[in-house]
Amino acid sequence: MKRLGLLSLLIHLLVYSSNSQLPAKNAIAREIALPTLNGDTITLSSLKGRVVLVDFWASWCGPCRITNRNLMLLYDKYKDQGFEILSVSIDDDISRWQEAVAMDKMNWLQVNQRGNWRAPIVREWGVSSIPISFLIDREGRFVAIKPSYGVIDKWLETLLKPRNNIQ
Amino acid sequence: MKAIKILLTLLVVSTMGFSQYRNVALQAAGLTCSMCSNAINKALKPLSFVEKIDTDLKSNLFVITVKPGTTPDFDLLKKKVEDAGFSVGKLTVEVNFGKQAITNDTHVKVGGKNLHFLKVKDQTLNGWQKVQLVDKPFMVSSQFKKMEGATKMACYKSGVSAGCCNDTKAGERIFHVTI
Repeated sequence: MKRLGLLSLLIHLLVYSSNSQLPAKNAIAREIALPTLNGDTITLSSLKGRVVLVDFWASWCGPCRITNRNLMLLYDKYKDQGFEILSVSIDDDISRWQEAVAMDKMNWLQVNQRGNWRAPIVREWGVSSIPISFLIDREGRFVAIKPSYGVIDKWLETLLKPRNNIQ
Repeated sequence: MKAIKILLTLLVVSTMGFSQYRNVALQAAGLTCSMCSNAINKALKPLSFVEKIDTDLKSNLFVITVKPGTTPDFDLLKKKVEDAGFSVGKLTVEVNFGKQAITNDTHVKVGGKNLHFLKVKDQTLNGWQKVQLVDKPFMVSSQFKKMEGATKMACYKSGVSAGCCNDTKAGERIFHVTI
């Protein structure tokens, strides 16, 4: 019985620690199912087939707001080639999130999970500071964790090249 | 004997929740946005005297509710904030003074801590009162410079008693506060 208790504690610790770490490169991205601005739920898996940048942010995070400008440049450059951005806000105040999206003219996919740093998705994705983004390929695998603007741009050039149809 | 036991139990239970300190408001300073990192929350949460931490995003404050029956360790708070990569820009705490007469540039003992008042009018404090720690580790340097002339006592720079007074031993920690 004592062994069983220790084993369950060990499993709990392993699961907890793995949840609080950043995901590994090449790993399949964890599912996200969160409400958009109009209340509909969008899932990350529904974007399979496109290259997706998942970006964590909040309206109260100054550096995130600056990053939004760079995201807009990337989105405008690559949106017609199969690129999508999923901005995940952890704002607890929904109205501030909505205001910030409008103010920063973020015309790509927006979802929110309330709670600020208490939002469960923070732990699930191993996020410990924002802004942070994850680049995911067409198959749903992580290709870059916490990449800079320049790195994302280079990756997109490669990942969005037309597929070779020769069998 | 049974009555004494009951009385003692009641006494213990009644004092368990008693604390003279509550709600520490800590403003972190640093080169990056302190609210944008979860490092401070993570570092402070496990401390034995921390009941919960709320963040005030408008004023960039970490508001720590002190666990009933415990006393906050200001030096440990400062260390944890620094270990997380930030510094303390401002720290205020609510203290229950009961009915305490205070005089400028003298100290009083409250809940086991020596609080040395600076830049205050002589007065009697009743009940809960918010005070700001004005020692160098708990302020930004520009603010600390404004406070430097408030006393000539050596304890302000050293943070410890020089054994000047009857109620403190040499080397005892002194926190300097203002209202």
